Amino acid sequence: MLAFLLLTTVRCAFSQDLLDILESEQQDTTRFIPATFKMTRIAVGHSTEVRGKGILELFVANRFWNTPAERSQSFVADRLSSRIALEYGISDKLTFGVGATTFDGLFDAHLKYRMLQHSGAKGLPFTITLFQNMSYNSSPIVNQAIADGFSDRAAFTSQLLLSKKISKDFSLQVSPTYSNKSLALAEEDPKNFFAVGLGARYKVGGHLSLVSEYYHTLNPIKSFDTFDTFAIGANWELGDIMLQFMLTNAVNMVEDAFIAQTRNNFNFRNPNLNFGFNATYVFHLRNRLKKQK
Amino acid sequence: MVRIIAVFLIAFLNFSDTDTDTDGKVIARQGKVSFFSHTSVEDIKAENNQVLSVIDLKKKEIAVSMLMNAFIFEKALMREHFNESYIESDIYPKAVFEGEIIDFDPVAKGEQTRMVKGLFTMHGVSKELEIKIRIVNDVSGYVVSGTFETLVKDYNINIPPLLAGNIAKSISIDFRFEYEPYED
Repeated sequence: MLAFLLLTTVRCAFSQDLLDILESEQQDTTRFIPATFKMTRIAVGHSTEVRGKGILELFVANRFWNTPAERSQSFVADRLSSRIALEYGISDKLTFGVGATTFDGLFDAHLKYRMLQHSGAKGLPFTITLFQNMSYNSSPIVNQAIADGFSDRAAFTSQLLLSKKISKDFSLQVSPTYSNKSLALAEEDPKNFFAVGLGARYKVGGHLSLVSEYYHTLNPIKSFDTFDTFAIGANWELGDIMLQFMLTNAVNMVEDAFIAQTRNNFNFRNPNLNFGFNATYVFHLRNRLKKQK
Repeated sequence: MVRIIAVFLIAFLNFSDTDTDTDGKVIARQGKVSFFSHTSVEDIKAENNQVLSVIDLKKKEIAVSMLMNAFIFEKALMREHFNESYIESDIYPKAVFEGEIIDFDPVAKGEQTRMVKGLFTMHGVSKELEIKIRIVNDVSGYVVSGTFETLVKDYNINIPPLLAGNIAKSISIDFRFEYEPYED
């Protein structure tokens, strides 16, 4: 009898709690951290986010601003610039996009590749995304002295985007940028630009976050004064629609343009203050659940 | 005499252990859990094929554990919204269930329908659940499956009023676990 009792007690002592068993069985898979910025743009510049394979984004960005004129009869705002773009996820890491802007007549195309993704405790502590774009300036150039062949009108921007989700609510990005822009108003103006971007997102609610972005150009052009780009805004997610509202001093929406030719500093006077409104509609062209079967 | 009985008992226990294996634990490592939300605006479906479950056949207890970010959605963006804005998987990475299978007979072959009573914890909220399950015991082992409905509002999940029409008030959850013997 004693032996039996002993046996049962030993058995009981060894029986684990079932949830502890599951805890030890849990595969220690590297868990990627979701949604550092959620949207593919922080405010004016690109974020490290890329959309997955088979996702098409219709991206419409608008900037509204007023002229310094004291009296104006314009409806809503004196000036409006819109950029309409389509961006498509070729793979889960690579996106291709094309866009056109009304005000500065820029046509642009970009490739964005998420090289490394920020993952759990043991993984990489940040996300690295490479960005390359090309833009073509189609606007008429009156000044005969300016060379305006195709290669002169083209501009190229390369960015190394580094981001980190510091806490559940706070994400930070640093974006070293190189831009080559041949179209120059004066001989003395540089054709190669170096800039550093800083961006941050702070989540204030489940679907709402505050964002800010700053681009500092290290070698601005000399023929006229330009200023660093600054933007502050709010990003709001509504399922398949994602909206961004911002205040910025950058009229231009393509990287090479706002880095090299933001003519106004950020303040609340006209025409410096731009109200920006971006809307992204996401189309899922591929059903993720079907793939598995 | 008492000693002899004890020896017999031990022998019997050990014998039953090796033969029918109804005394130990069985585990499912690739359990499937899917949920479905239907509204007139949209249908949302997600699947998780890496759900863990263990049954203690002797105590008739069952436990289930799943990682919320392992749910795959029809739409990739929904998964991001689900993890970031609704289920908050960085704070509450798992949903767990621990319960007892009432009147479970681990020896019986074939099919049996039983009630499971236990505590389900998700998004930091624990709730008593009573779920009807179907247990099939055949040569390949135990298979447990079932369906139940649960209310989103019970789990303190915040749905913005603008999107209230897209997400059903009651979510239907399907599960299926195939068990194999568990070695300590």
